[in-house]
Amino acid sequence: MHFTRQFLSILLMNLSGIRQRAAQVLTIIFGVACAVGVLVSMLAMGAGARRQEVADVRADHATLITSGARYRQSNISRDEVAAILGLPGIQKGTAGEPIVVFESMVPIEGRRRVTGNRIYFPLIGITSTVTQYQQMRFTDGRMFKPGVHELIASSPCLRQFSGFEIGDRRPIHGSDWVIVGHFEQGKAQQCVVYADVDNIMSIFSRNSYSAVSVRLRSPADFVAFRDAVSANPALQLEARRESEVAEEGFKELNAILNFVSYFVGTIMAIGATLGAVNSLYAIVDSRRTELATMRAIGFSSGAIVLSVLVESILWAFPGALLGGALAWLFFNGLSASPFGFSFQLAVTPSLVVLGIVWALGMGLAGGLLPALRAARVPVATALRAT
Amino acid sequence: MRFLPLIWSGIWRKPGRTNLIFLQVSVAFALFGVLQGLKTGVEHVIGDARADLLLVHSSLNVLDDSLPLGLFEGIKSVPGVKVVAPVELFRAIYQNPSQKLGIVAIRPDEGWLSAFTFTIAPDYVAALRSTRTGTIIKEGLAKEYGWKIGDHIPLMTTTKQMNGSTDWAFDVVGTYTDSDVGGGTETLLINYAYFDEARFAGKGTVQHFNVAVSDPKLAVNVADEIDRRFANSANATQTDSLRELAQSQLQAIGDLNFLIRAIVSVVLLALLFATATMMMQSLRERTPELAVLKTLGFSDRAVFLLILAEAMVVFVAGAACGLALALSVFPFASKIVPGLSMPLVVVAFGVICAVLVAAISASLPAVLAARLNIATALARR
Repeated sequence: MHFTRQFLSILLMNLSGIRQRAAQVLTIIFGVACAVGVLVSMLAMGAGARRQEVADVRADHATLITSGARYRQSNISRDEVAAILGLPGIQKGTAGEPIVVFESMVPIEGRRRVTGNRIYFPLIGITSTVTQYQQMRFTDGRMFKPGVHELIASSPCLRQFSGFEIGDRRPIHGSDWVIVGHFEQGKAQQCVVYADVDNIMSIFSRNSYSAVSVRLRSPADFVAFRDAVSANPALQLEARRESEVAEEGFKELNAILNFVSYFVGTIMAIGATLGAVNSLYAIVDSRRTELATMRAIGFSSGAIVLSVLVESILWAFPGALLGGALAWLFFNGLSASPFGFSFQLAVTPSLVVLGIVWALGMGLAGGLLPALRAARVPVATALRAT
Repeated sequence: MRFLPLIWSGIWRKPGRTNLIFLQVSVAFALFGVLQGLKTGVEHVIGDARADLLLVHSSLNVLDDSLPLGLFEGIKSVPGVKVVAPVELFRAIYQNPSQKLGIVAIRPDEGWLSAFTFTIAPDYVAALRSTRTGTIIKEGLAKEYGWKIGDHIPLMTTTKQMNGSTDWAFDVVGTYTDSDVGGGTETLLINYAYFDEARFAGKGTVQHFNVAVSDPKLAVNVADEIDRRFANSANATQTDSLRELAQSQLQAIGDLNFLIRAIVSVVLLALLFATATMMMQSLRERTPELAVLKTLGFSDRAVFLLILAEAMVVFVAGAACGLALALSVFPFASKIVPGLSMPLVVVAFGVICAVLVAAISASLPAVLAARLNIATALARR
C-alpha cells in the first residue's frame, strides 16, 4: 500500500510536469506514431491480400487438382470428365446439369493503361456453368457464345489495361477475338479474361484442363465428395475445399509481405526506442532535484523505477493510437498491386491492437535505462547542484 | 581548424545523448540505404538492360520452350535485324548435385557477339571456333573451381547423347564476363553445332534466338514484325528486349516504389523531429556556456557555425555508419534480385539527406545561439 501510494504520487508529479516537457513528450509520441504507422500500413497489405483472397470463398465450393499440383496448374484429362460429372454431392443447375466448372488457362499479354508496359495475365478458357458457380454480374455486354472467338473481361482489366473496351479486338494465336462483355466477380480485383474452354483448348492444342471446380449441394457433402474422388480408380485427383486452396495460393505472398513489414517495422521501432530513451533521459535529468528530494524523504527506488516506466508507456500509447489512426486514414482501402497481385489494403482492428502492443514494447524498452538512472540519482550531488 | 577541439568537446558534452542521436541517425540511414538502394538498384538494373537486344521465344509452350532452328532465316530477313544467334540451354552438375551449372550452346558465327551481353577476348572466340568440344567459362567459375585453359571438365546432365550417355565433357578454351543481370553466374558457353550433333533428342531446336537490331530505336518495331511474321504458324513467337524482360521480372518491386518513398519520408521526418527537440534541449542547457564564449569574443557567426558543425559531424558520421551497414547487408538482397547492387549514388544521396536534416534540425538552435544576449544569458545563471 505504501509502495502504491509512493508510486502514484511520483507518477502524478511526473505527469504534472508535462507542459515544461512538451517537446520531449511529443518526440516520443511522434516517433512511436511513425514506427507503428509504418508497421500497421505495411501489414495492412498482407491483411488486405488475405481478406480479398478469402472474400469470395464459399464453404460449398470444392476444387479438384491432380495429386501434388498447385491450383490452376493441374493436368486433368478430358477422359476424366464423365467420371467427374458423375460424382456424388454436386449441386444441379437450373437446367438440371451439374454445376462443374472446367478451366484451361493460358497466359496472354496486355499493355498497362498508364505506362504502356507489357504484362502477362491469364486467359481462362471456361465452361458456361461458371455463371451459376459464382456470382458474376455483367456491367456491360453479355456472356461469350461457345464456339466463336469471343472474350469477356472482368472490370479490373478495363481499369488497368488498354484494349478491353466492348468491341475491341485482341489478336490471340493468330486470330482476332472480340470483347463482348464486362463482368464483376465478387470482390476480386484481379484482371481475368474468360473465353469458351473448348475453343481455347482446340486452338492451343491442349488435351487437359488446368482446374476443375465444383459447387456442392451443401458444405456437409464435401466429405462424401472427397471420399468418392479418392475411391474412384479412374481419377488421379484430389478434392480440396476452396478455402484450403485459397490459403495455399496466398501463403507465399503473405510470407514475403510479412517479412518485409516486420523487417522495416523492427528497424523503425529501434529508431523510435532510441528517440524515446533520449527524451526520457532529458526528462529525468530535468527532474533530478525533485527525484533526489523524494529519495531523501524516503521514497523507495522501486517506486521511482516503476513510475518512469509507466510514464514512458503512457507516452507511447497515444503514439500508437495516432500511428494506427494515420495508417487507417491514409492507407485503408488503398489499392495496391505488388508482386502481380491486386488488392485493397485493410487496416483491421487486430492490426491496430498489434501496433499498440508493439508501441508498449517500445515504451517499456525505452523507459528502462532512464528509469534506472532516475533511481540512482545521487541525492547529495543532485541537491547541491541547484 | 583551431575550432576543431571546441566542436569536438561540444559534441561530447553529454556523451550519452550524443551516442543515442548517433545511433538514431545510423538506424534511420541504414533503413534509408536498404530501401532507397533497393529502389534505385532496381531502376539501374532495368536501365542498364539492353533495349536493342531482342530475345525470340516460343509463345505457345510456356513450360517446354523450344523453337526449330529453321526460323533462323525467317528472323534474319526481317528488316532492321543485324545478327540472329540461336541459343540452346541445358543444365548440368559438376561432381555433386549442389554444384549446378547452366550450359549455353551458341554458334560462334560472324558477328555473333553483338547479339549477346558477353565480353570475350577474340583469341578465346577463335579457340572456341576451332575446338568442337571447347567451352568458354564465366570468370567466376574459373575462380570457384580453379579451372584453367586446357582443363577437361566432365559434367553430369539429364541430356542424353547419341551413345546413350548423359555425361558430357568440355575443354576450357577461355573465360568471359557477362553484363546482363539475368545471365546467371554459373554458366559456360559451348558450340551449338557440336552439342546438336551429339545429343539424342530434340535435334534442330533451340530455346530461343538472340537478335541484335541495327538501330536501337527500331527495336520495338522489329520485335513486333518478327512476332507478326510467325503469328499464324505452328511456331508463334514472343519477342521481348532484354530491358522488357528485366522490367517484367522486377515489376513486383517497382510496384512498391510508392511505399518505399513513403517510408523513407516518414523515417527522415521522425528523425528530424527527434533530433530537433534534442538540440533545442541542448541549447537550453548550454546557454551560459555559449554566453561565456561570446564574452570571450566569439562572433555571432562563429557561434552559429559551431552549433551547426556539431550537428553536421554527428549526422554525417551516423549516416555513414548506417549506410555502411546497409551496404553490408545488400549482398543478401542480391539473392532476391540477381545483379542488384547498391548504386553509389544512393550513398551520396543519403549523405546529402543527412546534411539537410542536420542543417534543418540545428538551424533554429544555431540561430538562437547566435542571437544570444550575453547579459541576459549570464544573468540566468
